[in-house]
Amino acid sequence: MSATAKVWLDRLRDLPLDHPVSILNVCGGHERTLSHTGLRAALPETIRIIPGPGCPVCVCPEEDICDAMRLARECDVVVVAFGDMLRVPINAARSDPRCLSDARGAGADIRPIASPREAVAIARALPDKRVVFFAAGFETTMAPVAAMLCQGVPDNLFLLVSGRLTWPAVDMLLASEKPGFDALIAPGHVATVMGPEEWSFVAERYGLPIAVAGFTAESLLAATYYVLTQLLATTAHLKNCYPAIVRPGGNRVAQQQLSHSMRIVDANWRGIGTIARSGFALSETFASRDARSLLASPQDAARRHAGEMPPGCDCARVVLGKVVPTNCKLYGKACTPRRPIGPCMVSDEGACHIWWTSGLHNRTHAPHRRTGVAA
Amino acid sequence: MCLAIPMRVESINGFVARCSVRGVSRDVSLFMLEEGSVLAGDYVLVHVGYAIQVISGTDAAATWQVIDEALSGQ
Ligand code: SF4
Repeated sequence: MSATAKVWLDRLRDLPLDHPVSILNVCGGHERTLSHTGLRAALPETIRIIPGPGCPVCVCPEEDICDAMRLARECDVVVVAFGDMLRVPINAARSDPRCLSDARGAGADIRPIASPREAVAIARALPDKRVVFFAAGFETTMAPVAAMLCQGVPDNLFLLVSGRLTWPAVDMLLASEKPGFDALIAPGHVATVMGPEEWSFVAERYGLPIAVAGFTAESLLAATYYVLTQLLATTAHLKNCYPAIVRPGGNRVAQQQLSHSMRIVDANWRGIGTIARSGFALSETFASRDARSLLASPQDAARRHAGEMPPGCDCARVVLGKVVPTNCKLYGKACTPRRPIGPCMVSDEGACHIWWTSGLHNRTHAPHRRTGVAA
Repeated sequence: MCLAIPMRVESINGFVARCSVRGVSRDVSLFMLEEGSVLAGDYVLVHVGYAIQVISGTDAAATWQVIDEALSGQ
């Protein structure tokens, strides 16, 4: 830990906190820094930072993964997707593939990509094939997808869009009866693109302190310090603790590209349900690129609601910050990164995956055990 | 998946920049940035192959430090 981080830690320890406080983070990157650098364990017992809706792969609905699979298996198309999506399990009959990776093993042409630019390159290289880009992600990732579209893509490239907006999930949590946290740390790279201002509603409408943080220990500790000083002073406003990168207004070019190529719709979050105006869909201009139009028939309603989360998986409540990964009965037993049961154990951004890979292998030795989040 | 990595811009050709970090070179799209806002020698924050913001060399170094710490699992 750097000298500056130690100074922040000392300042945090000196705060006159006489009761436990919970701070929600909304970003897999934040969670990774907190877990993998030992930051969470170094915090005073009274300060707990809990992982919230910070993993786009974890909330991607089963029905979208199912559509991607049907496209690849039944429609003679090439499906490309960010690597994380390939291993996300869905509920399937024993004889059917459980994830895109299985479907690939069974002969479907499904390829992992690391950039929308690769989707374009693959479509260009296969002019006689239809290529479907299964695009899941939060604002930070959907902006490059939008840029790709606005720059122009070959006619044989279609999109299965499963993008989500982060702030509406937080808004939904805050509007619920028991949000379960006292302050919020906002995601730095979402704010880089969309502008920090879209997070001010947390303070203005709900009276909760909020700070935008970057991914260094210093930035996260500074954000923690500033929300706590606000709590102690019973004030609430938005503080930008990542000013070198998060600038007022965000990246306006990216925002224009997003609004040109996408529209905002109500969207289903896996295991959570529909959250108003929380999803991206193709705009009118790009409607003809919708990969769902390639499917012979819509998914039947029974399949769509066959079961959002695998039995016993607490992923939805982990995503909402209602429980921490170690509260799940399957954590580290039936469910590990090698054999994931739920999406939170698959993705690098998933809280279960992050906690496990940070060395938290014993369920009884969870950080903040004594002040643990109520199940 | 929102992780973005700082890279140094080596050369620019239209909307594509050759960027490098730690000896690894990649083509990065500049299509999300204002035209003309990046020059060779600048640092950009790269996410899924697109530069999402121009950043200073100091911030680039600080971000790399945290990535190193996270990767080494300290
Ligand atoms: S440990 Fe596995 S089963 Fe439990 S919540 Fe996490 S992903 Fe789901």
